[in-house]
Amino acid sequence: MLLESRDLTKAFGGLVAVNQLSMTVEKGTVLGIIGPNGSGKTTFFNLITGMIPSDSGKVIFNGEDITKLRPHRIARLGVGRTFQIPAPFSKMTVLENVMVSSFIHTSSMKIAKKKAWEVLEKVGLDEKADFQVLNVTLEDRKRLELAKALAIEPSLLLLDEVMSGLTPVEVKSAIHLIRQMHRQGLTIIIVEHVMDVILSLCDRVAVLDYGRKIAEGTPQQIVNHPEVIRAYLGERYRARS
Amino acid sequence: MKSLKNAQTPAHSSPSFLRWGLLGLVLLISLLLPWTLSPLWIRIATEVLMWAGLAQSWNIIGGYTGYLSFGHGAFFGVGAYITGITMLHLGLPFGLGLLISGMAAALMAVIIGYPTLRLRGAYFAIATWAFGEMIRQIATILEITGGAFGMQLPAYLNLPFFYYLFLLMTGLIYLTIYLLLERSPFGYKLLAIREHEEAAEMVGVDTVMIKIKAFGLSAFFPGVLGGIYAYWVTYIHPDSVLGAVITDFMVVMAFLGGIGSLWGPFLGAGVVQLVNRYLWLVWGEGTFYLIVIGAAICAVVLFIPSGIIGLLESQIFQPRTAWKEIRKKVKW
Repeated sequence: MLLESRDLTKAFGGLVAVNQLSMTVEKGTVLGIIGPNGSGKTTFFNLITGMIPSDSGKVIFNGEDITKLRPHRIARLGVGRTFQIPAPFSKMTVLENVMVSSFIHTSSMKIAKKKAWEVLEKVGLDEKADFQVLNVTLEDRKRLELAKALAIEPSLLLLDEVMSGLTPVEVKSAIHLIRQMHRQGLTIIIVEHVMDVILSLCDRVAVLDYGRKIAEGTPQQIVNHPEVIRAYLGERYRARS
Repeated sequence: MKSLKNAQTPAHSSPSFLRWGLLGLVLLISLLLPWTLSPLWIRIATEVLMWAGLAQSWNIIGGYTGYLSFGHGAFFGVGAYITGITMLHLGLPFGLGLLISGMAAALMAVIIGYPTLRLRGAYFAIATWAFGEMIRQIATILEITGGAFGMQLPAYLNLPFFYYLFLLMTGLIYLTIYLLLERSPFGYKLLAIREHEEAAEMVGVDTVMIKIKAFGLSAFFPGVLGGIYAYWVTYIHPDSVLGAVITDFMVVMAFLGGIGSLWGPFLGAGVVQLVNRYLWLVWGEGTFYLIVIGAAICAVVLFIPSGIIGLLESQIFQPRTAWKEIRKKVKW
């Protein structure tokens, strides 16, 4: 077991964004998290990465309690994440953006540059390494998000809607990329609205609604789960499939 | 593919031998300057050097890190007073006094930075401003600082000595910035914090630690410069070394020249101080120059937010592209 959350809870004022959420992720698997907007998916990521403190509950990563750790410490333990809205360092080049991540393991400019190049090649951004981030497309910004997360050499990768806003062709190449990373042994949690992505990538899927987990299982079990269809997929989805 | 890769490399990146040559020339001129100028202009050149150092120090936290410090003048004043106190009351040599001043200013920055650097935006600015005011009040009531009457240091009237000392110190500051902020992980991390602090944390940047280090460094230099200034002018009082105008000028010069850049603060300091002194020579003592400089700053912030350096780095000075570049750079 690589990651486990136990009864994780977070409320913003009266709104309970994540409600006693317990989740486990086995090493080497891909977990998908789906659910309506505001069901607590991104908040769950923010709790794991330490970006916001939890009200109660625990996060265990690799056998270590990381609930109270500061975000950079969690990153150093090997948790990488992407942001739903790309969060690049705008006034730096693509390469420099990734180098900031590489500095997690080295303080040598030369090694950091080399490692950053390797990651850029992996995600197919090497041709744009010297571009200012302001001058690259949304798809490339999403790739850059991925590159930044990969450059810290994580063992767990949290992907927050990396597909949103991409064209079907771009989605296809992104799926290919994620599958490749998974084959290289990376454990991945994906938050996504595009069901095709979830179905083609995930070993297990968890469904959130109002901060609670209403179902968990294989992708096939999930798409036929009556509660899930009611809360998220809708009757039309059942009709289509 | 090669051409695509280079499509975005700035066209202004002149060959490095040209840059180094230019730098060498400027240094040579700076070294020979005291032999050619009248004492008045040596004084003005010395002031330019001091302000170039101060503006760059502010630039570390304000420009590179993106945290606007409005109490930075306090570090200058603290340096001035501590150098005075160590020389007068402790009988320590000037050089040692400078070192203590710098370290005391840096220590203060670390202490106030620890709680306040967690505050973003206006809150940090207000907190540092309050700190600056606090230091001024303390200097006004303490006995050891001479209170409102100020402090008289031993006189050492040797203008070229102070010129060269400021040249050395400001040179050291720019060298430090070049090596530490432009060419090392530390500088990259600062930029990352400025551009997106949460994203920086997510890739393992210990933002609190890095910000505190940057703030300490940006306070160390004004502490030393303040010490040199005190020994130079020999008489200091709360308004002369702790006045709000010290901070204002650091900010204004950095903004005018271009924040977050290596040479911006230098250009800004040169322009502001020369204009300032020119107006002073023409109209005599007064505050009119503040109005001129205030108007200039409004113009810069509105029309060329990247400062003088941003204008220079564009292709504005190549005749063919000049107009296009002006249209691009200047927001009408």
